[in-house]
Amino acid sequence: MFQTLASGAAAGREGDLSSGGARGDALESLLARRILFVAGKGGTGKSTIAAALALIAAGSGRRVLCVDVDVKGDLARALGAEPVGFQPRLVQPGVSVLALLPEESLSEYLRIWFKVPRVARLTPLVRVLDFVATGVPGTREMLTTGKIAYEERREERGRPTWDLIVVDSPASGHLLPQLSAARSMMELTRGGIIRSQTEWVDQTLTDPRRTLLAICALPEEMPVAEAIELHDRAQAEAHVAVGACFLNSTLPVPVTPRDTGVLEALASGHAQAAAARLGGQLGPVLEGAAIARRLHDGDRRHASRLRAHMRVPVLEVPRQVGTAPGLETTRAVAAAVGGSAV
Amino acid sequence: MRREAGPAAAGDVVEKLARHRMIVCCGSGGVGKTTVSAALGMAIAAARDTRVLVLTIDPARRLATALGLTSIGTRPVTIAPERLRAAGLAPRGQLDAAMLDAKSEWDRLVERHAPSPEVRDRILANRFYRGISTAFAGSQEYVALDAVYDLQASGEYGCVVVDTPPSRNALDFLDAPDRLTDFVSARLLAWLAGPSRFGLRAMGFAATPFLRMADRLLGGEVLEELGAFVRDIQGLYGSVRRRAAAMYDLLRSPATAFTVVTTLDPQPFAEAEFLCARLGERSMPLRAVVVNRVLPRALLDPAGAVAATTLAEDPGVGAWLSAELGEPVAPAVPRRLGQAFLALHALAEGQEAQVARLGGLGRVPVARLPLADREVSDLDSLGELARRLREGPG
Repeated sequence: MFQTLASGAAAGREGDLSSGGARGDALESLLARRILFVAGKGGTGKSTIAAALALIAAGSGRRVLCVDVDVKGDLARALGAEPVGFQPRLVQPGVSVLALLPEESLSEYLRIWFKVPRVARLTPLVRVLDFVATGVPGTREMLTTGKIAYEERREERGRPTWDLIVVDSPASGHLLPQLSAARSMMELTRGGIIRSQTEWVDQTLTDPRRTLLAICALPEEMPVAEAIELHDRAQAEAHVAVGACFLNSTLPVPVTPRDTGVLEALASGHAQAAAARLGGQLGPVLEGAAIARRLHDGDRRHASRLRAHMRVPVLEVPRQVGTAPGLETTRAVAAAVGGSAV
Repeated sequence: MRREAGPAAAGDVVEKLARHRMIVCCGSGGVGKTTVSAALGMAIAAARDTRVLVLTIDPARRLATALGLTSIGTRPVTIAPERLRAAGLAPRGQLDAAMLDAKSEWDRLVERHAPSPEVRDRILANRFYRGISTAFAGSQEYVALDAVYDLQASGEYGCVVVDTPPSRNALDFLDAPDRLTDFVSARLLAWLAGPSRFGLRAMGFAATPFLRMADRLLGGEVLEELGAFVRDIQGLYGSVRRRAAAMYDLLRSPATAFTVVTTLDPQPFAEAEFLCARLGERSMPLRAVVVNRVLPRALLDPAGAVAATTLAEDPGVGAWLSAELGEPVAPAVPRRLGQAFLALHALAEGQEAQVARLGGLGRVPVARLPLADREVSDLDSLGELARRLREGPG
């Protein structure tokens, strides 16, 4: 039911990407990159939106890798799969997922770049390196970003293994160090192998034709403020371009004061007739209309604040009702965002 | 007989929490923790003749302004009693608010624990210091706890309400002292701090390949510098460990009351369930649950849903409305009204699914705060929430 509401409501909305075409263009522009970081404050539905974008991209024939930077496995779940490990696993047609576990990131890193065999005794080493990674800004993040950049470069039979890599990023506070890891490493390390690798990672991330950031927000003060801050800082500090903002969980039905006026008029002088004609109670509907109006006003206020500040498309995603995060919700979100998913 | 958990009268929450000297509000991000902490502080200042402090971390700007917190800094600001009265509360005590500044708290921590002024200066000047102090998991939580501990020890406040940082994992707060102790612990770092590389070799691990690797990875001088830093940090160990132990004592003492804040949305609620269970395992006492943004029960009304379905789906209803009201009503109007109700009805049903599980959070009083009429961002709306916490939604 919600999808139909959403498309109906989105169509006539002022300031929104009113036509399906504009929405589609914004979406296509995002999906035409090589790497897409999906970021935002916790609880903004990042994983679901990242998964929905992956399904839409796969729907247009792309081979997509989803990267879960959080060990919670939310991204795999949003794609209808059990939590995955470090090796990419195909979970939907055209969509593979991998989880970036810190320890495995490190041992793979060592294996790829230093030809260190995978050994069981790596653990104490990892603990110490983990400390080094905490101390030297960017080391840990570099492992993550390095792996993503490595996957971007991977080729099979002369063509890239992945057309698009969608990264379910950690919360904003950890994302910026991650995005600027290569840069800060370049400033810190004057020698060492890492120095030479950081340059191409940095080039990949700061090239807006290859890498974009999509920011998720909720129609509430703090998430909007954080989205705006992330938007500014990603560009100023990490030099990563922002491609779009998803305002998640909006109420898809615009109720105007005139609408509620009609309901009030009905309730005040025509309650009996209304009860007979409508076959139920008008009181709760009246209360619901007032709440809907308030929520909708809030949505509009927050959407315009985002639009006023960001010079990127702000796509509204209607709140999904009654479903827990999972493939079904992801498909609904994909449909609401305006793409055809696999 | 003990009251069963579940829908207890909301007044119980304030009454129960007001007896404690420290109230720690935790819950997943985005549930309105800061707002609830502030409202709780107001309610306690109204209920009890004592000095109450609300310590927030990174509040929304408008909320900070409402509390009179214009600049960052851990210095408490007193909220004038007139302002509380204007917000509809009759304060018996005094309400202060403070906003934690993690950066300066870290400097303070180093100053306090450093064994000598020389070590302190070296640490503060080290280029890894800022990265380390802010990067490791739970660092913000630790300094928050450290500041709270001092405030408690000062005895200045009869009650301190702590709004925990908006961490991805609310448990970071509880584990922060251990993590910091680990962090400066001799065992893990002895290696890097060893006086020479031969010292490392002597540890018996595969030290040589490690060092070779680390050298190649980072470049030699980075490792040297880090080693020197680690040696300095270790000077803090004994002092930090003692303090961490004292913090855990405080967190587990009867003076402390943990309050879990959640909404009835499935994800935050699942996190609240997880958090309540972990609190129990750590012998940290859960004393109350605050459920925020509860939709009104009218939205669950099946008779409302019937009327809304007719409005949304009956093609003749627009014409009927026009005739009945004697003015033209576009068919889209009843459709929107009906759809809006049905959308909210589904949301309310989604919340209701969690209500049944409230009792499982613990045998503690539960307060329910309604979805606010507007965004809670001024003292009036905070006062309204504080009243609801005291009197219940009735």
